[in-house]
Amino acid sequence: MKKNLRILLIVGLIVAFVTGLTYFDSFMYHDPVMKVEQVKNLDRSTSTDEYKNTDTQITQRVTGKLLNTSNKGQTVSFKNTYYRSQLTDTKYNVGQQVILTKGYNPKNVKRDTVLVFTVGLVVFLLYCMKFDRRKLFISVLINIAIFYGFMQIIIQKHNSVLLPLTVITALLISATALLVILGPTYQALMAYSSTIIATTAALVLSVFVLGMSGYSGVHVELNDFELQPYKGVFFAQVIFSVLGVILDETMDISSSLIEMKKELTDVKESTLFKSGINIGRELIGPLINILLFIVIAENLNVVLLYLSNGNSIGYTMEMTLSLGITQLLISGIGIILTVPVTSLIASKVITKKVQ
Amino acid sequence: MLYLFLTFVVLLLMVTGTRGFTLLFGLGINIFSIIALLILIADGFNVLITTGVIAMVILVVAIYMNVDNPNTASTAFKTSLLIMVVILLITIPLEFWASAQGMAAENQDELEGFSLAAGISYPQLAISIIVINSLGVISETSVAITSGLNEIVENKPTLTPTEIFDDGFSVGNKILNTQTNTLLFNFFASTFPLFFVIHSLGYKFTEILNDKLVVAEILTTLICTIGVILTVPITSYLVYRKANSKVKKDTK
Repeated sequence: MKKNLRILLIVGLIVAFVTGLTYFDSFMYHDPVMKVEQVKNLDRSTSTDEYKNTDTQITQRVTGKLLNTSNKGQTVSFKNTYYRSQLTDTKYNVGQQVILTKGYNPKNVKRDTVLVFTVGLVVFLLYCMKFDRRKLFISVLINIAIFYGFMQIIIQKHNSVLLPLTVITALLISATALLVILGPTYQALMAYSSTIIATTAALVLSVFVLGMSGYSGVHVELNDFELQPYKGVFFAQVIFSVLGVILDETMDISSSLIEMKKELTDVKESTLFKSGINIGRELIGPLINILLFIVIAENLNVVLLYLSNGNSIGYTMEMTLSLGITQLLISGIGIILTVPVTSLIASKVITKKVQ
Repeated sequence: MLYLFLTFVVLLLMVTGTRGFTLLFGLGINIFSIIALLILIADGFNVLITTGVIAMVILVVAIYMNVDNPNTASTAFKTSLLIMVVILLITIPLEFWASAQGMAAENQDELEGFSLAAGISYPQLAISIIVINSLGVISETSVAITSGLNEIVENKPTLTPTEIFDDGFSVGNKILNTQTNTLLFNFFASTFPLFFVIHSLGYKFTEILNDKLVVAEILTTLICTIGVILTVPITSYLVYRKANSKVKKDTK
C-alpha cells in the first residue's frame, strides 16, 4: 500500500510538473503570447436576425502582459468583438493565455495546458486504480504511431491511396489491439479473422446496395471539410469507426464460447454456434448505441447551425446527418454480421482445439 | 439509403429473431429523443438542462431495454447517472478553460452563407456534445461491469469489499481496453480529414496543439475515457453495498 502511494505521488507530481511546464512554455512560441489581466466590456448590442434568433454582440477591450518575445512584460491590449453564442468567435476571460499575431491582434486561445492537464488526469486516474496500465499504454501508443504514419503517407500522396492505405492501417491497428489484449493465442487469430470477414462482408454488401440505388439520399460530398475523394473518405471513416466495436464484440463472443467449452467438455459444435448467436444478440443493441451517439455528437454543431438558420428539421437531417446515418447503418450491418461469423468460426475452431 | 436501411432491418431480424423488434424500437426511441433534443435547443431552451433530461431518457432506454436482469439494470443505471454527473463536473471547467466550442477557420466552406448570430450557447453545446458522445460508451461499460460483477458475487456471497474491488478491476481491465480502442478508432475516423485540412493550411506543431477543433476532439475522447475508468470503482462500490445490505438482511 505504501509503495502504491509513493508511485501515485510521483505520477501526480510528474503530471503537475508537465502541466505547469506548458503553462510557462510561451518562450517556445514564435508568436507573441499574452496573459489576460483585465477585460472591459465596451459595447453591447442585441440584434434579432431574419430567423428570429436573438443574439448579443459584445465588444470587449482585453488587456494583458506579454509573456515572451523581446517585449516580454509589456502591457498590450486589443479589441475583441464576439456574439454571445460564440459559434466562431471567442470571449476572452481573465487568466487565459492568448496567442497573438505580430501586430498584437488575437489569433488563438492557448489551449495546450488544458490538453496536457487532461491527458495527465487520465494517466493519474489509471494509476489510482488497479488497472493493467502497461497493456493499455502500449496498445494506445502503437496505434497512435500507426495512425501518425497513415497521416504522413496520405498527406504525401494527396489522398490518392486513401482506401488501400486505410485497409492496411485497419489491419494493423486491429492486430495490435488483439495482440496486446489477448496475446499471440489462437483466440486472437480467431477474433482477427472474424473481424476481417465481417467488416469486409458488411462493406461489400453496403457498397452493392448503395450502388443499386445510385447513392440516392446519401450526400458523400458533404463530409467534414468536403475532402476528396468523397467516397474514399466516407468509407475510410466507416472502417475506422466500426473497427473498435466489432473487435469488442468478437472477443466477447469467442471468449464466452471458450469458457463454455472448458466447463462442458462434450458440448457439440452446433450448440456452441447457437449459444454464440444468443450471446451476440445481447451485444448488438448496446454496440449500435455507442456508434449512434458518437455520430450524432460529432455533427451537433452543424445541425444546430442549420436549424437556427431557419431550415426545416427534414432538410437539416438530410444535409447534416444523412452521411452519419448511412455510416451508422453500414456499421450496424457489420455489427450484426459479426455475430454469425464469429459464432461459426469460433464453434468450429474451439471444437477442434479445446479438449 | 432506403435499401441500406431495409438490408439492415432484414439482417437484424434474421440474426436476432423477435428480439430485433425490441432493438429497433429502442433505436427508434433514441433517435426520437435526439430529434427532440435538437428541436428544444434550437427553440432556445437551456442547452445543459435539456441535455441532462434527454440523456436520462436515453440511459433509461439504453439500459432497461437491453438488460433483462432488473438487479443489473438498476445498478448500471445508477452508475451511468453518477458518471454523467461526474463528466459534467469535469467538462464544465475544462471547456471554460479551453474555450473549444463551435466551429473554426477550417470550417470556412461549410459556414458560408449562414447567419452566425444563432442565439444558441455554443460553449454549452460543446459540453453537451461530450455528454452525448459518452452516453453509449458509459451505458455499455456499466452494464458489462455490473453483470460481470453480479455473476461473481452471486456465486460467492461472502466477498469482502477488497475482493469485490479486485474482481471489479479484473472485469474492468478488458472492458477498459476495448472501450479505449473504440474511442481511439472513432477519434481516428473523425480527425483524419481534419488533420489533412490542417496540413494543407500549413499549421506548425504548436498551432495544431492549440487548434480549437483538434483540442475539442481530443478532449472528447479523453473525457469519455475518464468516464469509462471511473465506471469500475463506482460499479464495484454499488455492487458491494447491495451485497452487504443483503447479507445484513439475511442475518437478521
